[in-house]
Amino acid sequence: MKYMLLIYDRPDTRELFSGPDGKAMREQMDDLMAELTASGELVGGEGLADPAQTRSIRGQDGVPVVTDGPLAEAKEHFGGYLIVDCDTADRATEIALRWPNALFASMEVRPIMNAGGGEEM
Amino acid sequence: VSSPDAEELEGLLRRLAPQVLGALVRRHGQFDACEDATQEALIAAARQWPTDGLPDHPRGWLIAVATRRLVDELRAERSRRAREDIVADREERSGPAVGDAAMSAHDDALILLFLCCHPALTSASQIALTLRAVGGLSTGEIASAFLVPEATMAQRISRAKQAIKASGTAFELPPDDDRAERLRAVRHVLYLVFNEGYTATAGPDLQRVELAEEAIRITRMLHAMMPADGETAGLLALMLLTHSRRNARVTPDGALIALAGQDRSRWDRRMIDQGVALVERALATAAIGPYQLQAAIAALHAEAPSADETDWHQILALYTLLVRIAPSPVFALNRAVAVAMAKGPDAGLVELAAVESDDRLAGHHRVAAVRAHMLEFAGDRYAAAAAYRAAARLTTSLAERRYLESRAAAMPSIEADVETDEPAPTLSYMVTSKDEGENT
Repeated sequence: MKYMLLIYDRPDTRELFSGPDGKAMREQMDDLMAELTASGELVGGEGLADPAQTRSIRGQDGVPVVTDGPLAEAKEHFGGYLIVDCDTADRATEIALRWPNALFASMEVRPIMNAGGGEEM
Repeated sequence: VSSPDAEELEGLLRRLAPQVLGALVRRHGQFDACEDATQEALIAAARQWPTDGLPDHPRGWLIAVATRRLVDELRAERSRRAREDIVADREERSGPAVGDAAMSAHDDALILLFLCCHPALTSASQIALTLRAVGGLSTGEIASAFLVPEATMAQRISRAKQAIKASGTAFELPPDDDRAERLRAVRHVLYLVFNEGYTATAGPDLQRVELAEEAIRITRMLHAMMPADGETAGLLALMLLTHSRRNARVTPDGALIALAGQDRSRWDRRMIDQGVALVERALATAAIGPYQLQAAIAALHAEAPSADETDWHQILALYTLLVRIAPSPVFALNRAVAVAMAKGPDAGLVELAAVESDDRLAGHHRVAAVRAHMLEFAGDRYAAAAAYRAAARLTTSLAERRYLESRAAAMPSIEADVETDEPAPTLSYMVTSKDEGENT
Protein backbone atom coordinates (compact mmCIF):
# COMPACT_ATOMS: atom_id res chain seq x y z
CA MET A 1 0.00 0.00 0.00
CA LYS A 2 1.44 3.37 -0.99
CA TYR A 3 1.27 6.39 1.26
CA MET A 4 2.28 9.99 0.76
CA LEU A 5 3.89 11.59 3.79
CA LEU A 6 3.23 15.30 3.52
CA ILE A 7 5.93 17.35 5.19
CA TYR A 8 4.94 20.76 6.57
CA ASP A 9 7.44 23.49 7.35
CA ARG A 10 7.40 26.61 9.47
CA PRO A 11 8.76 29.91 8.11
CA ASP A 12 11.92 29.36 10.20
CA THR A 13 12.50 25.73 9.20
CA ARG A 14 15.61 26.50 7.19
CA GLU A 15 17.17 28.37 10.11
CA LEU A 16 16.32 25.48 12.41
CA PHE A 17 18.16 23.09 10.13
CA SER A 18 21.24 25.30 10.05
CA GLY A 19 21.08 26.07 13.79
CA PRO A 20 22.59 24.17 16.74
CA ASP A 21 20.15 21.24 16.43
CA GLY A 22 20.41 21.17 12.64
CA LYS A 23 23.17 18.60 12.36
CA ALA A 24 21.27 16.05 14.45
CA MET A 25 18.10 16.64 12.41
CA ARG A 26 19.90 16.24 9.10
CA GLU A 27 21.49 13.03 10.31
CA GLN A 28 18.11 11.78 11.46
CA MET A 29 16.75 12.47 7.97
CA ASP A 30 19.70 10.83 6.23
CA ASP A 31 19.45 7.74 8.42
CA LEU A 32 15.76 7.40 7.75
CA MET A 33 16.23 7.81 3.99
CA ALA A 34 18.99 5.19 4.03
CA GLU A 35 16.75 2.81 5.95
CA LEU A 36 13.81 3.30 3.57
CA THR A 37 16.04 2.85 0.54
CA ALA A 38 17.57 -0.34 1.91
CA SER A 39 14.21 -1.81 2.86
CA GLY A 40 12.75 -1.17 -0.59
CA GLU A 41 9.95 0.96 0.87
CA LEU A 42 11.00 4.28 -0.63
CA VAL A 43 9.15 5.03 -3.85
CA GLY A 44 10.04 8.70 -4.19
CA GLY A 45 10.04 12.13 -2.67
CA GLU A 46 10.96 15.75 -3.28
CA GLY A 47 11.55 18.92 -1.31
CA LEU A 48 9.95 22.15 -2.49
CA ALA A 49 11.54 25.58 -2.91
CA ASP A 50 10.54 28.46 -0.65
CA PRO A 51 6.84 29.36 -0.80
CA ALA A 52 7.86 32.87 -1.94
CA GLN A 53 8.47 31.32 -5.35
CA THR A 54 4.93 30.00 -5.61
CA ARG A 55 2.57 30.86 -8.44
CA SER A 56 -1.04 30.19 -7.61
CA ILE A 57 -3.95 29.69 -9.93
CA ARG A 58 -7.49 30.16 -8.72
CA GLY A 59 -10.76 29.96 -10.62
CA GLN A 60 -12.76 33.15 -10.55
CA ASP A 61 -16.16 32.98 -12.24
CA GLY A 62 -14.97 30.09 -14.37
CA VAL A 63 -11.72 31.82 -15.36
CA PRO A 64 -8.35 30.68 -14.01
CA VAL A 65 -6.39 33.62 -12.62
CA VAL A 66 -2.66 33.47 -11.89
CA THR A 67 -1.17 35.32 -8.93
CA ASP A 68 2.31 35.38 -7.42
CA GLY A 69 2.65 33.86 -3.95
CA PRO A 70 0.83 31.10 -2.10
CA LEU A 71 -2.95 30.83 -1.94
CA ALA A 72 -3.07 31.75 1.71
CA GLU A 73 -0.63 32.93 4.32
CA ALA A 74 -0.32 30.20 6.92
CA LYS A 75 1.73 29.37 9.98
CA GLU A 76 2.84 26.21 8.20
CA HIS A 77 3.30 25.49 4.53
CA PHE A 78 3.71 22.36 2.43
CA GLY A 79 7.43 21.79 2.15
CA GLY A 80 7.86 18.43 0.47
CA TYR A 81 6.77 14.82 0.45
CA LEU A 82 7.87 11.22 0.58
CA ILE A 83 6.08 8.34 -1.06
CA VAL A 84 6.53 5.02 0.70
CA ASP A 85 5.18 1.56 -0.05
CA CYS A 86 4.52 -0.13 3.30
CA ASP A 87 2.67 -3.13 4.63
CA THR A 88 0.54 -1.11 7.04
CA ALA A 89 -0.65 2.41 7.81
CA ASP A 90 1.03 2.02 11.21
CA ARG A 91 4.40 1.52 9.55
CA ALA A 92 3.87 4.65 7.39
CA THR A 93 2.95 6.58 10.54
CA GLU A 94 6.04 5.34 12.30
CA ILE A 95 8.17 6.69 9.43
CA ALA A 96 6.41 10.06 9.59
CA LEU A 97 6.96 10.25 13.35
CA ARG A 98 10.71 9.93 12.78
CA TRP A 99 10.94 12.76 10.23
CA PRO A 100 12.35 15.82 12.05
CA ASN A 101 9.39 18.03 11.12
CA ALA A 102 7.21 15.84 13.36
CA LEU A 103 8.97 17.53 16.29
CA PHE A 104 8.52 21.21 15.41
CA ALA A 105 5.90 21.40 12.62
CA SER A 106 3.55 18.78 11.13
CA MET A 107 3.37 15.67 9.03
CA GLU A 108 0.39 14.06 7.35
CA VAL A 109 0.12 10.41 6.28
CA ARG A 110 -2.33 9.87 3.44
CA PRO A 111 -3.08 6.69 1.48
CA ILE A 112 -2.61 6.98 -2.28
CA MET A 113 -5.51 5.88 -4.45
CA ASN A 114 -4.69 3.01 -6.77
CA ALA A 115 -5.76 3.36 -10.36
CA GLY A 116 -6.53 -0.33 -10.67
CA GLY A 117 -9.76 -2.03 -11.49
CA GLY A 118 -10.73 -2.64 -7.89
CA GLU A 119 -12.71 -5.65 -6.80
CA GLU A 120 -16.19 -6.67 -7.76
CA MET A 121 -18.67 -5.30 -5.30
CA VAL B 1 16.42 -24.12 -37.27
CA SER B 2 13.20 -22.22 -36.93
CA SER B 3 13.24 -19.31 -34.56
CA PRO B 4 10.75 -19.46 -31.71
CA ASP B 5 8.13 -16.74 -31.60
CA ALA B 6 8.42 -14.21 -28.80
CA GLU B 7 5.63 -15.65 -26.69
CA GLU B 8 6.85 -19.23 -26.94
CA LEU B 9 10.35 -18.13 -26.09
CA GLU B 10 9.25 -16.20 -23.05
CA GLY B 11 7.16 -19.12 -21.82
CA LEU B 12 10.06 -21.51 -22.26
CA LEU B 13 12.57 -19.25 -20.50
CA ARG B 14 10.24 -18.62 -17.59
CA ARG B 15 9.57 -22.34 -17.22
CA LEU B 16 13.28 -23.14 -17.25
CA ALA B 17 14.33 -20.30 -14.93
CA PRO B 18 13.75 -22.07 -11.60
CA GLN B 19 15.28 -25.30 -12.95
CA VAL B 20 18.45 -23.52 -14.01
CA LEU B 21 18.72 -21.63 -10.75
CA GLY B 22 18.07 -24.81 -8.78
CA ALA B 23 20.79 -26.70 -10.62
CA LEU B 24 23.27 -23.87 -10.00
CA VAL B 25 22.55 -23.48 -6.31
CA ARG B 26 22.68 -27.23 -5.80
CA ARG B 27 26.16 -27.33 -7.30
CA HIS B 28 27.70 -24.09 -6.08
CA GLY B 29 25.69 -22.86 -3.09
CA GLN B 30 25.56 -19.05 -2.85
CA PHE B 31 21.95 -18.46 -3.76
CA ASP B 32 22.39 -14.73 -4.34
CA ALA B 33 25.26 -15.00 -6.83
CA CYS B 34 23.53 -17.91 -8.62
CA GLU B 35 20.33 -15.90 -8.89
CA ASP B 36 22.15 -13.02 -10.60
CA ALA B 37 23.96 -15.42 -12.95
CA THR B 38 20.67 -17.10 -13.90
CA GLN B 39 19.08 -13.75 -14.73
CA GLU B 40 22.04 -12.90 -16.95
CA ALA B 41 21.75 -16.23 -18.74
CA LEU B 42 18.03 -15.63 -19.33
CA ILE B 43 18.77 -12.21 -20.79
CA ALA B 44 21.48 -13.68 -23.05
CA ALA B 45 19.04 -16.35 -24.27
CA ALA B 46 16.30 -13.82 -24.93
CA ARG B 47 18.79 -11.90 -27.05
CA GLN B 48 20.43 -14.78 -28.93
CA TRP B 49 17.79 -17.45 -29.45
CA PRO B 50 15.44 -15.45 -31.68
CA THR B 51 18.23 -15.01 -34.24
CA ASP B 52 20.35 -18.12 -33.67
CA GLY B 53 17.42 -20.48 -33.15
CA LEU B 54 16.76 -22.70 -30.15
CA PRO B 55 19.76 -24.70 -28.92
CA ASP B 56 19.30 -28.49 -28.87
CA HIS B 57 19.24 -28.50 -25.08
CA PRO B 58 17.88 -25.16 -23.89
CA ARG B 59 18.16 -26.07 -20.21
CA GLY B 60 21.77 -27.23 -20.60
CA TRP B 61 22.62 -24.10 -22.59
CA LEU B 62 21.23 -21.86 -19.85
CA ILE B 63 23.02 -23.77 -17.09
CA ALA B 64 26.30 -23.58 -19.00
CA VAL B 65 26.01 -19.84 -19.63
CA ALA B 66 24.86 -19.13 -16.08
CA THR B 67 27.71 -21.21 -14.66
CA ARG B 68 30.21 -19.28 -16.78
CA ARG B 69 28.83 -16.00 -15.47
CA LEU B 70 28.91 -17.31 -11.93
CA VAL B 71 32.52 -18.45 -12.20
CA ASP B 72 33.52 -15.09 -13.71
CA GLU B 73 31.78 -13.30 -10.90
CA LEU B 74 33.34 -15.44 -8.19
CA ARG B 75 36.77 -14.98 -9.77
CA ALA B 76 36.30 -11.22 -9.91
CA GLU B 77 35.11 -11.28 -6.33
CA ARG B 78 38.21 -13.23 -5.28
CA SER B 79 40.58 -10.82 -6.98
CA ARG B 80 38.74 -7.88 -5.46
CA ARG B 81 39.26 -9.41 -2.06
CA ALA B 82 42.90 -10.14 -2.86
CA ARG B 83 43.48 -6.56 -3.99
CA GLU B 84 41.98 -5.31 -0.78
CA ASP B 85 44.25 -7.71 1.02
CA ILE B 86 41.45 -9.34 2.89
CA VAL B 87 42.00 -12.84 4.05
CA ALA B 88 39.55 -15.02 2.26
CA ASP B 89 38.32 -17.17 5.07
CA ARG B 90 35.24 -18.26 3.24
CA GLU B 91 35.52 -21.60 1.55
CA GLU B 92 34.24 -21.80 -1.96
CA ARG B 93 31.38 -24.21 -1.72
CA SER B 94 31.90 -26.00 -4.99
CA GLY B 95 31.75 -29.55 -3.84
CA PRO B 96 30.70 -32.46 -6.00
CA ALA B 97 27.26 -32.30 -7.50
CA VAL B 98 25.84 -34.82 -5.06
CA GLY B 99 22.62 -36.36 -6.18
CA ASP B 100 22.32 -33.82 -8.96
CA ALA B 101 21.04 -36.33 -11.46
CA ALA B 102 18.76 -38.01 -8.98
CA MET B 103 17.02 -34.85 -7.94
CA SER B 104 14.47 -33.78 -10.47
CA ALA B 105 14.06 -30.27 -11.78
CA HIS B 106 10.72 -30.24 -9.97
CA ASP B 107 12.36 -30.70 -6.61
CA ASP B 108 14.65 -27.78 -7.34
CA ALA B 109 11.75 -25.53 -8.23
CA LEU B 110 9.91 -26.59 -5.08
CA ILE B 111 12.93 -25.92 -2.87
CA LEU B 112 13.26 -22.52 -4.53
CA LEU B 113 9.63 -21.70 -3.75
CA PHE B 114 10.16 -22.57 -0.10
CA LEU B 115 13.34 -20.49 -0.05
CA CYS B 116 11.70 -17.43 -1.63
CA CYS B 117 8.83 -17.60 0.85
CA HIS B 118 11.17 -18.00 3.81
CA PRO B 119 9.70 -16.67 7.07
CA ALA B 120 12.74 -14.40 7.61
CA LEU B 121 11.57 -12.27 4.66
CA THR B 122 8.93 -9.54 4.66
CA SER B 123 5.89 -10.29 2.58
CA ALA B 124 6.90 -7.66 -0.03
CA SER B 125 10.31 -9.33 -0.35
CA GLN B 126 8.82 -12.83 -0.57
CA ILE B 127 6.61 -11.70 -3.43
CA ALA B 128 9.41 -9.94 -5.31
CA LEU B 129 11.89 -12.80 -4.96
CA THR B 130 9.34 -15.47 -5.90
CA LEU B 131 8.47 -13.62 -9.10
CA ARG B 132 12.12 -13.24 -10.01
CA ALA B 133 13.67 -16.55 -8.94
CA VAL B 134 10.73 -18.86 -9.62
CA GLY B 135 8.76 -16.80 -12.13
CA GLY B 136 11.82 -15.79 -14.14
CA LEU B 137 10.65 -12.16 -14.38
CA SER B 138 13.15 -9.34 -14.57
CA THR B 139 13.37 -6.75 -11.81
CA GLY B 140 12.05 -4.13 -14.25
CA GLU B 141 8.99 -6.23 -15.07
CA ILE B 142 8.21 -6.82 -11.40
CA ALA B 143 8.71 -3.13 -10.61
CA SER B 144 6.30 -2.02 -13.31
CA ALA B 145 3.74 -4.61 -12.20
CA PHE B 146 3.79 -3.09 -8.73
CA LEU B 147 4.14 0.49 -10.00
CA VAL B 148 7.32 1.24 -8.10
CA PRO B 149 10.70 2.40 -9.45
CA GLU B 150 13.07 -0.35 -10.55
CA ALA B 151 15.59 0.72 -7.91
CA THR B 152 12.99 0.16 -5.18
CA MET B 153 12.22 -3.34 -6.43
CA ALA B 154 15.93 -4.14 -6.88
CA GLN B 155 16.45 -3.19 -3.26
CA ARG B 156 13.64 -5.48 -2.09
CA ILE B 157 15.13 -8.38 -4.02
CA SER B 158 18.62 -7.70 -2.78
CA ARG B 159 17.41 -7.45 0.80
CA ALA B 160 15.51 -10.71 0.40
CA LYS B 161 18.65 -12.46 -0.78
CA GLN B 162 20.63 -11.05 2.14
CA ALA B 163 18.00 -12.33 4.55
CA ILE B 164 18.17 -15.80 3.04
CA LYS B 165 21.94 -15.77 3.26
CA ALA B 166 21.81 -14.59 6.88
CA SER B 167 19.30 -17.29 7.78
CA GLY B 168 21.84 -19.93 6.72
CA THR B 169 19.09 -22.02 5.17
CA ALA B 170 20.43 -24.95 3.19
CA PHE B 171 19.20 -25.63 -0.33
CA GLU B 172 16.96 -28.52 0.58
CA LEU B 173 13.34 -29.19 1.38
CA PRO B 174 12.27 -27.95 4.83
CA PRO B 175 12.18 -30.67 7.50
CA ASP B 176 8.93 -32.60 7.76
CA ASP B 177 7.74 -30.97 10.97
CA ASP B 178 8.13 -27.56 9.34
CA ARG B 179 6.82 -28.47 5.90
CA ALA B 180 3.11 -27.79 6.40
CA GLU B 181 3.70 -24.34 7.86
CA ARG B 182 6.17 -23.39 5.13
CA LEU B 183 3.79 -24.62 2.46
CA ARG B 184 1.08 -22.42 3.97
CA ALA B 185 3.42 -19.45 3.56
CA VAL B 186 4.09 -20.36 -0.09
CA ARG B 187 0.37 -20.55 -0.84
CA HIS B 188 -0.24 -17.23 0.87
CA VAL B 189 2.45 -15.48 -1.20
CA LEU B 190 0.93 -16.89 -4.41
CA TYR B 191 -2.51 -15.77 -3.24
CA LEU B 192 -1.19 -12.23 -2.62
CA VAL B 193 0.38 -12.11 -6.09
CA PHE B 194 -2.92 -13.24 -7.61
CA ASN B 195 -4.92 -10.62 -5.74
CA GLU B 196 -2.50 -7.88 -6.69
CA GLY B 197 -2.95 -8.85 -10.32
CA TYR B 198 -6.69 -9.34 -10.06
CA THR B 199 -7.30 -5.90 -8.62
CA ALA B 200 -4.59 -4.01 -10.47
CA THR B 201 -5.43 -4.30 -14.12
CA ALA B 202 -7.61 -1.67 -15.70
CA GLY B 203 -7.76 -2.28 -19.40
CA PRO B 204 -5.18 -4.06 -21.46
CA ASP B 205 -1.62 -2.98 -20.91
CA LEU B 206 0.70 -5.09 -22.97
CA GLN B 207 3.78 -3.75 -21.26
CA ARG B 208 2.68 -4.98 -17.87
CA VAL B 209 3.08 -8.52 -16.70
CA GLU B 210 -0.23 -10.15 -15.83
CA LEU B 211 0.38 -10.96 -12.18
CA ALA B 212 -2.85 -12.94 -11.84
CA GLU B 213 -1.80 -15.20 -14.68
CA GLU B 214 1.71 -15.47 -13.31
CA ALA B 215 0.27 -16.53 -9.94
CA ILE B 216 -1.88 -19.15 -11.68
CA ARG B 217 1.15 -20.43 -13.62
CA ILE B 218 3.29 -20.88 -10.49
CA THR B 219 0.39 -22.36 -8.50
CA ARG B 220 -0.20 -24.82 -11.34
CA MET B 221 3.46 -25.78 -11.08
CA LEU B 222 3.14 -26.26 -7.32
CA HIS B 223 -0.02 -28.33 -7.79
CA ALA B 224 1.75 -30.53 -10.34
CA MET B 225 4.48 -31.19 -7.77
CA MET B 226 2.02 -32.16 -5.05
CA PRO B 227 -1.27 -33.16 -6.68
CA ALA B 228 -2.56 -34.78 -3.47
CA ASP B 229 -2.31 -31.55 -1.47
CA GLY B 230 -5.91 -30.40 -1.13
CA GLU B 231 -5.22 -26.79 -0.20
CA THR B 232 -2.87 -26.23 -3.13
CA ALA B 233 -5.54 -27.67 -5.44
CA GLY B 234 -8.09 -25.48 -3.66
CA LEU B 235 -5.98 -22.38 -4.16
CA LEU B 236 -5.51 -23.12 -7.86
CA ALA B 237 -9.26 -23.73 -8.21
CA LEU B 238 -10.05 -20.48 -6.40
CA MET B 239 -7.73 -18.54 -8.71
CA LEU B 240 -9.17 -20.12 -11.86
CA LEU B 241 -12.78 -19.60 -10.78
CA THR B 242 -12.11 -15.98 -9.86
CA HIS B 243 -10.05 -15.27 -12.97
CA SER B 244 -12.75 -16.80 -15.19
CA ARG B 245 -14.75 -13.60 -14.66
CA ARG B 246 -11.98 -11.21 -15.70
CA ASN B 247 -13.63 -10.20 -19.00
CA ALA B 248 -17.03 -9.61 -17.40
CA ARG B 249 -16.14 -7.66 -14.27
CA VAL B 250 -15.36 -4.25 -15.76
CA THR B 251 -16.87 -2.16 -18.54
CA PRO B 252 -14.57 -1.14 -21.42
CA ASP B 253 -14.06 2.21 -19.68
CA GLY B 254 -13.00 0.56 -16.45
CA ALA B 255 -16.17 0.74 -14.32
CA LEU B 256 -16.77 -2.21 -12.02
CA ILE B 257 -19.71 -4.50 -12.71
CA ALA B 258 -21.26 -6.23 -9.70
CA LEU B 259 -21.40 -10.01 -9.89
CA ALA B 260 -25.19 -9.97 -10.27
CA GLY B 261 -24.93 -7.66 -13.25
CA GLN B 262 -22.20 -9.51 -15.13
CA ASP B 263 -22.80 -11.05 -18.54
CA ARG B 264 -22.26 -14.69 -17.62
CA SER B 265 -21.69 -15.66 -21.24
CA ARG B 266 -18.42 -13.78 -20.98
CA TRP B 267 -17.15 -15.98 -18.16
CA ASP B 268 -14.37 -18.30 -19.23
CA ARG B 269 -16.05 -21.74 -19.23
CA ARG B 270 -12.83 -23.65 -19.73
CA MET B 271 -11.34 -22.09 -16.61
CA ILE B 272 -14.53 -22.72 -14.67
CA ASP B 273 -14.57 -26.39 -15.68
CA GLN B 274 -10.96 -26.77 -14.59
CA GLY B 275 -11.58 -25.00 -11.31
CA VAL B 276 -14.72 -27.00 -10.52
CA ALA B 277 -13.01 -30.30 -11.30
CA LEU B 278 -10.03 -29.39 -9.10
CA VAL B 279 -12.10 -28.40 -6.09
CA GLU B 280 -14.47 -31.36 -6.37
CA ARG B 281 -11.56 -33.77 -6.44
CA ALA B 282 -9.80 -32.02 -3.54
CA LEU B 283 -12.93 -31.99 -1.37
CA ALA B 284 -13.49 -35.68 -2.06
CA THR B 285 -9.95 -36.83 -1.39
CA ALA B 286 -8.06 -34.41 0.88
CA ALA B 287 -8.41 -32.84 4.32
CA ILE B 288 -10.70 -29.82 4.07
CA GLY B 289 -9.20 -26.32 4.25
CA PRO B 290 -10.00 -22.63 3.75
CA TYR B 291 -8.92 -22.39 0.09
CA GLN B 292 -11.02 -25.41 -0.84
CA LEU B 293 -14.06 -23.94 0.87
CA GLN B 294 -13.59 -20.56 -0.82
CA ALA B 295 -13.17 -22.35 -4.14
CA ALA B 296 -16.36 -24.33 -3.48
CA ILE B 297 -18.20 -21.06 -2.87
CA ALA B 298 -16.76 -19.59 -6.07
CA ALA B 299 -17.83 -22.75 -7.90
CA LEU B 300 -21.44 -22.30 -6.74
CA HIS B 301 -21.41 -18.78 -8.19
CA ALA B 302 -19.78 -20.00 -11.39
CA GLU B 303 -22.34 -22.76 -11.90
CA ALA B 304 -25.44 -20.65 -11.23
CA PRO B 305 -27.14 -20.00 -14.60
CA SER B 306 -28.15 -16.53 -13.34
CA ALA B 307 -27.64 -14.42 -10.22
CA ASP B 308 -31.22 -15.19 -9.09
CA GLU B 309 -30.56 -18.91 -9.26
CA THR B 310 -27.53 -18.76 -6.97
CA ASP B 311 -27.71 -21.36 -4.20
CA TRP B 312 -27.29 -18.98 -1.26
CA HIS B 313 -28.29 -21.55 1.35
CA GLN B 314 -25.45 -23.77 0.23
CA ILE B 315 -23.08 -20.78 0.16
CA LEU B 316 -24.14 -19.81 3.68
CA ALA B 317 -23.47 -23.36 4.87
CA LEU B 318 -19.99 -23.24 3.35
CA TYR B 319 -19.25 -19.85 4.95
CA THR B 320 -20.42 -21.13 8.31
CA LEU B 321 -17.95 -23.98 7.99
CA LEU B 322 -15.22 -21.63 6.76
CA VAL B 323 -15.62 -19.26 9.70
CA ARG B 324 -15.45 -22.23 12.04
CA ILE B 325 -12.22 -23.74 10.65
CA ALA B 326 -10.52 -20.43 9.80
CA PRO B 327 -11.90 -17.65 11.99
CA SER B 328 -11.35 -14.28 10.32
CA PRO B 329 -13.30 -11.02 10.40
CA VAL B 330 -13.28 -10.84 6.60
CA PHE B 331 -14.82 -14.29 6.24
CA ALA B 332 -17.36 -13.33 8.91
CA LEU B 333 -18.24 -10.22 6.90
CA ASN B 334 -18.70 -12.30 3.77
CA ARG B 335 -20.85 -14.72 5.75
CA ALA B 336 -23.10 -11.83 6.78
CA VAL B 337 -23.76 -11.16 3.10
CA ALA B 338 -24.70 -14.80 2.61
CA VAL B 339 -27.07 -14.53 5.59
CA ALA B 340 -28.75 -11.53 3.96
CA MET B 341 -29.11 -13.36 0.68
CA ALA B 342 -30.38 -16.59 2.20
CA LYS B 343 -32.59 -15.18 4.97
CA GLY B 344 -33.29 -11.58 4.02
CA PRO B 345 -31.67 -8.19 4.66
CA ASP B 346 -32.90 -7.83 8.26
CA ALA B 347 -31.19 -11.04 9.30
CA GLY B 348 -28.13 -9.84 7.38
CA LEU B 349 -28.04 -6.52 9.22
CA VAL B 350 -28.27 -8.27 12.59
CA GLU B 351 -25.36 -10.50 11.56
CA LEU B 352 -23.42 -7.48 10.30
CA ALA B 353 -23.83 -5.67 13.62
CA ALA B 354 -22.13 -8.59 15.35
CA VAL B 355 -19.30 -8.69 12.80
CA GLU B 356 -18.76 -4.93 12.90
CA SER B 357 -17.76 -4.97 16.55
CA ASP B 358 -14.47 -6.64 15.58
CA ASP B 359 -11.75 -3.99 15.86
CA ARG B 360 -9.81 -5.54 13.01
CA LEU B 361 -12.53 -4.34 10.62
CA ALA B 362 -12.52 -0.77 11.95
CA GLY B 363 -12.37 1.70 9.07
CA HIS B 364 -12.65 -1.06 6.47
CA HIS B 365 -14.65 0.22 3.51
CA ARG B 366 -16.15 -3.24 2.93
CA VAL B 367 -18.13 -3.00 6.13
CA ALA B 368 -19.79 0.22 4.99
CA ALA B 369 -20.28 -1.17 1.47
CA VAL B 370 -21.95 -4.32 2.78
CA ARG B 371 -24.17 -2.24 5.08
CA ALA B 372 -25.11 -0.02 2.13
CA HIS B 373 -26.11 -2.97 -0.04
CA MET B 374 -28.15 -4.51 2.77
CA LEU B 375 -29.94 -1.25 3.50
CA GLU B 376 -30.72 -0.82 -0.17
CA PHE B 377 -31.98 -4.40 -0.27
CA ALA B 378 -34.15 -3.68 2.79
CA GLY B 379 -35.60 -0.64 1.02
CA ASP B 380 -34.03 1.97 3.33
CA ARG B 381 -32.52 3.94 0.52
CA TYR B 382 -31.67 7.12 2.43
CA ALA B 383 -29.58 5.19 4.90
CA ALA B 384 -28.14 3.18 2.02
CA ALA B 385 -27.02 6.38 0.28
CA ALA B 386 -25.23 7.54 3.43
CA ALA B 387 -23.52 4.16 3.81
CA TYR B 388 -22.46 4.13 0.15
CA ARG B 389 -20.91 7.57 0.61
CA ALA B 390 -19.13 6.44 3.78
CA ALA B 391 -17.75 3.43 1.92
CA ALA B 392 -16.64 5.63 -1.01
CA ARG B 393 -14.64 7.79 1.39
CA LEU B 394 -12.89 4.74 2.87
CA THR B 395 -11.77 2.87 -0.23
CA THR B 396 -8.40 3.54 -1.86
CA SER B 397 -9.39 2.08 -5.23
CA LEU B 398 -10.52 4.62 -7.82
CA ALA B 399 -12.77 2.07 -9.52
CA GLU B 400 -14.44 1.11 -6.25
CA ARG B 401 -14.92 4.74 -5.28
CA ARG B 402 -16.53 5.41 -8.61
CA TYR B 403 -18.85 2.41 -8.21
CA LEU B 404 -19.84 3.33 -4.65
CA GLU B 405 -20.46 6.97 -5.57
CA SER B 406 -22.64 5.92 -8.48
CA ARG B 407 -24.67 3.70 -6.13
CA ALA B 408 -25.06 6.62 -3.72
CA ALA B 409 -26.19 8.85 -6.58
CA ALA B 410 -28.75 6.24 -7.66
CA MET B 411 -30.50 6.43 -4.27
CA PRO B 412 -33.33 9.01 -4.10
CA SER B 413 -32.52 12.31 -2.42
CA ILE B 414 -34.58 13.58 0.51
CA GLU B 415 -36.13 16.28 -1.69
CA ALA B 416 -37.32 13.83 -4.32
CA ASP B 417 -39.13 11.55 -1.92
CA VAL B 418 -41.44 9.80 -4.33
CA GLU B 419 -42.40 6.26 -5.15
CA THR B 420 -40.20 4.79 -7.83
CA ASP B 421 -41.18 2.28 -10.43
CA GLU B 422 -37.85 0.59 -10.18
CA PRO B 423 -38.01 -3.10 -9.40
CA ALA B 424 -37.01 -4.11 -5.91
CA PRO B 425 -33.23 -4.27 -5.77
CA THR B 426 -31.49 -7.53 -5.10
CA LEU B 427 -28.33 -7.95 -3.16
CA SER B 428 -25.86 -10.04 -5.00
CA TYR B 429 -22.28 -9.09 -5.34
CA MET B 430 -18.78 -10.02 -4.45
CA VAL B 431 -16.90 -9.18 -1.33
CA THR B 432 -13.23 -9.85 -1.61
CA SER B 433 -10.26 -8.87 0.41
CA LYS B 434 -6.65 -8.49 -0.46
CA ASP B 435 -5.66 -9.88 2.90
CA GLU B 436 -7.67 -13.01 3.11
CA GLY B 437 -10.86 -14.45 1.95
CA GLU B 438 -12.70 -14.40 -1.30
CA ASN B 439 -16.20 -14.28 -2.50
CA THR B 440 -19.72 -14.14 -1.39
